[in-house]
Amino acid sequence: MRIYSASSEETLRARKLLTDWAGEGFLTDQQYQRLEQETVSDLRTTNIFLRLVLFVFTLISVSAAAGLFFAVSGPSEQTIGVFFLIFAAVCYAAAEVAVSQARLYRYGIEEALAACSVGFLSAGILFAFFTGSPYSPKLESLVPAIGAVFSLWIWRRFGLWYAFLAAMIFVVFLPGYWTSSHSAQHLIVAGFYATGLICVAAARSRHRFDYLDDAYSLVEAFLWLGIYLAMNLKLSPLELPTQWWSGTRSASEFAKPFYWTTWVLIWCLPPIVLTRGIRQKDRFVIAVGAIVAVLTFVSNKPYLGWPRHTWDPMLLGILLTGVAVFIRRWLGRGPGGIRHGFTAARLSGTDKNWMNAGSAVFGLLTPQSITPAPQTGSKDFRFGGGASGGGGASGNF
Amino acid sequence: MNILARLEHWKEQGAISGEQHAHLAGLSRGEPFSIFLELNLLLYAGVVAFVVGLGWTVSTWSRQLGDIVVLTVLTGILAACSWYCFFRAPAWSPAETPAPSPIFDYVLYLGSLVWCVELAYLENRFHVLSGQWDLYLLVSAGLFFFVAYRFDNRFVLSLALSSLAGWFGLTISHWPSHQDAEYRQYALLYCLLVGVGGALLERRGLKSHFFSTYLNVVANVLFLALLSGVFERQGYGLWFFALVIACGASLAWGLARRQFAFVAYAAVYGYVGVSSIFLRSVNDNTAVMTYFVVTAIAMLVGLVQVARRFGRPA
Repeated sequence: MRIYSASSEETLRARKLLTDWAGEGFLTDQQYQRLEQETVSDLRTTNIFLRLVLFVFTLISVSAAAGLFFAVSGPSEQTIGVFFLIFAAVCYAAAEVAVSQARLYRYGIEEALAACSVGFLSAGILFAFFTGSPYSPKLESLVPAIGAVFSLWIWRRFGLWYAFLAAMIFVVFLPGYWTSSHSAQHLIVAGFYATGLICVAAARSRHRFDYLDDAYSLVEAFLWLGIYLAMNLKLSPLELPTQWWSGTRSASEFAKPFYWTTWVLIWCLPPIVLTRGIRQKDRFVIAVGAIVAVLTFVSNKPYLGWPRHTWDPMLLGILLTGVAVFIRRWLGRGPGGIRHGFTAARLSGTDKNWMNAGSAVFGLLTPQSITPAPQTGSKDFRFGGGASGGGGASGNF
Repeated sequence: MNILARLEHWKEQGAISGEQHAHLAGLSRGEPFSIFLELNLLLYAGVVAFVVGLGWTVSTWSRQLGDIVVLTVLTGILAACSWYCFFRAPAWSPAETPAPSPIFDYVLYLGSLVWCVELAYLENRFHVLSGQWDLYLLVSAGLFFFVAYRFDNRFVLSLALSSLAGWFGLTISHWPSHQDAEYRQYALLYCLLVGVGGALLERRGLKSHFFSTYLNVVANVLFLALLSGVFERQGYGLWFFALVIACGASLAWGLARRQFAFVAYAAVYGYVGVSSIFLRSVNDNTAVMTYFVVTAIAMLVGLVQVARRFGRPA
């Protein structure tokens, strides 16, 4: 099913690990050079920046080619749908060829072609079968359903994590066609994600230490996050369009038992996710566990109908910092700085690179959101709105 | 063959020692499992959440709390952070210096952000400098540069660079007319100052590892400033010429130093600039689409060549 052979992907993974270990001094230069010769892959890769740029320009060229075709031919709406379907097939075939012939791997080009095929397929089905015909919600649900299935196929075939994310987003649109009950919509979405989670958990146990482990880990993390967001009525993406449109909170639309069950669930899920992540030593699942824990703290007061206080973020900050310091100290006091197989020490050069890049970017971004913007025309002192960083630089003066 | 089997194979070949095998196999199995990155993210989120709450509380409750209480609390936090940093910091070195403790960088960052909050409070309540915010920003930028170099902290370096950018932006906002052209000139002056300053410091070996931060900030500000000139209806020729030169320089730098972010900047900003020139008088959809098809494919071919020659091989 997968377009890349397991040996090719294992070789790439081994090469990446070798580079990391050599950078950390776990291997000598001579060892690295010798072992590097043994990890030569037939796949063609590139660095992240060129990958991104290649992705963007492939998207531009494919979209423009489609636009040019329609500008020249001027077809009817249903013919447009048929052509979209043809474009989807062409893009998918091109992605397959790019991998099988040019041996591209995370190269941007084959990724963009695969992504375009998903977009064209969904648009094609919508235009070809449902434009101009009477509205039939059950039938039209085929559009997101096929989008989700095809995205899943792309994920399985090419191993692109964001294709799985696209499938999850397609699923969010599905229940809207089937029922008008918001509670049922939440349950359906959560049910889909939970089913996916069970399948992924069963599948990944066979790939504990191989190249697929990271991919399954990320997907499992997405599914946990999806379940949480589907259950948290104060954050759910299902509710956001309604809230934006009407400007009101739709929580009152939910039956009380459902509402309070979801409140219980948002408190139960973080410890479950964290426990799962810690037991599996799974970085992504641990991260999602931490994120949903913070989201639970943030959304608890709105759930209970309690007023927010200005010092709530301070308390959250103290809690987060306290937890981080406590865990670090607790781990540090273990023999060799290790307890239960965990350490707070840095073991990978990749972590350092992430830290360096992250600290520079976050340092530039943070002041914009937290520093005060002075109000020269008013005696009232209000914060927020700094636009260029520093001490609230260049807000509206 | 997964990585564990490979390590076993390498050990049997004698390519790695038994100790190395045990260590690397352990790392591959996640034994021990490092949560270094996660703890750092938690600390960062904690500091940011705390300062957000502090700013929100001060702005909402300043009248009820009174100036003395607010200033005492803010000054107390600032003093505690400063004391911790100066007390715990190792002797200064021009080279990259590891933080003396895991929370050191975050205490320093907290102090820097609280400084911003306190300055804003002082000015808004007492109008010490009669609305001369640019002076606050200049002083803050200077302080942050000093702190970043003294304690080797990228967070604070970024704060310094954004404060300096704010000072340039704010100075021009005092002028009677706010024309894009003036902003553009100040952006270029900012790029010149930061770029030359960063290069000089790097040449002198003062925290050379900061240079990439300077370059990335300068490159983005410079390209945005040049693009805003290219987008002008009149007198854009010189800006376009400057954009082409900047793209060439960025491309050459990126390829020579293998810093492919600069190749990406050159490709994207250059493409946007060239496209705006070519398409500004074109109204025909077919011509526009044809342009994008042809040029995007040309860019793809060029970038693939770059990736094949210079990009990381598999």
